[in-house]
Amino acid sequence: MSEELKNKAKELLTNKKVDLIIGYQRAADGVLAAPCFIDSQDDAEKLIWDSYCVYNLASYLKDFPAKRKGIVVKVCDLKSITVLLQENQVKREELLIIAASCPGVIDEKRLNPLDQQAQEIVFAGKCKTCKTITPAYYDILINEPQKNDKLSEIGQDEYEPVRKLEAKSIEERFKFWESEFSRCIRCYACRQICPLCYCPKCVAEQITPGYFSKGVNLEGNLSWNITRAMHLAGRCIDCGECERACPVGIPLRDINKKIEKEIKELFKYEAGLSVEQKPLLSCFDKSDPEDFIK
Amino acid sequence: MLRIAQKEELQKMIDGFLADYEVIGPRELPGKGIFYQPITNAQDLYLGERFAIEPVKKFFFRPSEYLFEGGLKEGSEFLEGIPLAQNKRMIIGVRPCEARGLALLDKIFNTEYKDEAYVSLREKTILVGLSCQAPGKDCFCTSIGGSPVQARGMDALIFSAGSKYVIEIITDKGKDIFDTCPKEPDKEEIKAWESLKEKSNAALRKKIKIPESLDNIFESGYWGKVSSACISCGVCTYLCPTCHCFDLVDEERKKLRCYDGCAFSDFTLEASGGNPRPTKMERYRQRVFHKFDYFKKNFGEHLCVGCGRCIRHCPVKMNIAEIVDQAPV
Ligand code: SF4
Ligand code: SF4
Ligand code: SF4
Repeated sequence: MSEELKNKAKELLTNKKVDLIIGYQRAADGVLAAPCFIDSQDDAEKLIWDSYCVYNLASYLKDFPAKRKGIVVKVCDLKSITVLLQENQVKREELLIIAASCPGVIDEKRLNPLDQQAQEIVFAGKCKTCKTITPAYYDILINEPQKNDKLSEIGQDEYEPVRKLEAKSIEERFKFWESEFSRCIRCYACRQICPLCYCPKCVAEQITPGYFSKGVNLEGNLSWNITRAMHLAGRCIDCGECERACPVGIPLRDINKKIEKEIKELFKYEAGLSVEQKPLLSCFDKSDPEDFIK
Repeated sequence: MLRIAQKEELQKMIDGFLADYEVIGPRELPGKGIFYQPITNAQDLYLGERFAIEPVKKFFFRPSEYLFEGGLKEGSEFLEGIPLAQNKRMIIGVRPCEARGLALLDKIFNTEYKDEAYVSLREKTILVGLSCQAPGKDCFCTSIGGSPVQARGMDALIFSAGSKYVIEIITDKGKDIFDTCPKEPDKEEIKAWESLKEKSNAALRKKIKIPESLDNIFESGYWGKVSSACISCGVCTYLCPTCHCFDLVDEERKKLRCYDGCAFSDFTLEASGGNPRPTKMERYRQRVFHKFDYFKKNFGEHLCVGCGRCIRHCPVKMNIAEIVDQAPV
């Protein structure tokens, strides 16, 4: 499959269909993958495609304005491109979408950092409840029947962790999040990795006025994490990159999923399904529930 | 000076320390990793091979520190320093690279200029290290003057040897706390300890070469190429045991010192709107030059201890060791 990808990439670059291809290469440790940016035929040899290709490369699109970009995507990554198109952040004509059928990606956090060898693959949480491995649209499909067709344990409840939290009392819930957020170091990796966090100036950086404490304390940490999640309401497509990037293991997907669930229930809306869909927060529908207005 | 203790004896000693010291050590949070936290019982400690995500730096150069408070109170000016550390602390289980990191931070915060907050925390703290016997694949301390068994910056260093611990005592502070442990290792035990050290050193497989100077390649296209995947987050700088950049922030009437890092796009943003490091190329190059060139020129050694944290936790697997090793000098 990597071969097919390499050949396609070479072809695209030779025929000048694209200026560069954003894809994956083997990381320096020889085991994991790392993002790569290919602009020559020779470099196309570096491209790989396997379960280590965890990154959502869509966050790199903004680095190459006005270039014709080929980008290797999984189904979940594609949804974030859909939102970027919906929000006019990328031009479709500058994009060449290379969708690769997905073998499921690893849960990096479960890798033993001391082990110097390749380890048995444990799939990421998002993959375990992934609904389809067929991309909605693409320009090129790198397809191969996956041996792991049992990967998506369809029927498994994707909101199970959220329901568990919902079942707790408010006090217990607050205690839970207080202890999780207390570890936040405010590195903003969750924001930087997110393909949909693209504000040129983040609220966290504003100082006149400062919206919340820069201090690593409960007030600042809580404000940051809630703000981040709320700014993605109706936009987050659950690629899980924030949670993966978080060095201190805060379960950011649980917050995202909670908001996603509320939105589904209230507005029957799911982010990233189609480009034509109007963004949730910039449209109004007469049937929107309004019992919160008192 | 060497001492030897059974595991239970060491645990008892640690429980004893708890009466006089605030004791901090690595604890395992299931599914999250290892974190330094205060302990209430020797059983809380994780003294295995995995190392903490955040280095002990945060207990000395803290992520955010209130430096002083000032303004107008009842019509007159006031300026108050925030009280300095008073309580005696002990940190147990510190890794050689992190302790060396503190020795490097001392060059910044405790030489010509003395940073009161940092110095008071350093003075009040005893550091008891733990040697590494199974270094990770991203560790490269032996390529940069360190080793998994080095005691620099520590008061004492513990080696786990089967059912026993060998304790190497380095400073007077270390001697004081371990005077309750009278037993010295015999010849056999010393031999075993020495071969354990050799084994630990040999277990560290990653070797890199570090160029004498990077002067000639400041303008090289190399930096643009190697930095292209960087997402400009703060993971590498915040988790680095030697990074020490900060930002001063006013909050209410307090002056707050918070971590900052060269990776952030607004780190060098000037009030005029100009930014001398506008892209990640300049920013990443700065990180490498500060660690592997400038600091050596100013302070005689590199500002990296080879702990591998910035590699292990980089969300996009940027690998500073490879980048320095392959630098086209
Ligand atoms: S939640 Fe995690 S990734 Fe985000 S700022 Fe906090 S520590 Fe960094
Ligand atoms: S090198 Fe990695 S950890 Fe450091 S700023 Fe870049 S992406 Fe973040
Ligand atoms: S630069 Fe990276 S490897 Fe070196 S001390 Fe800092 S975190 Fe560790």
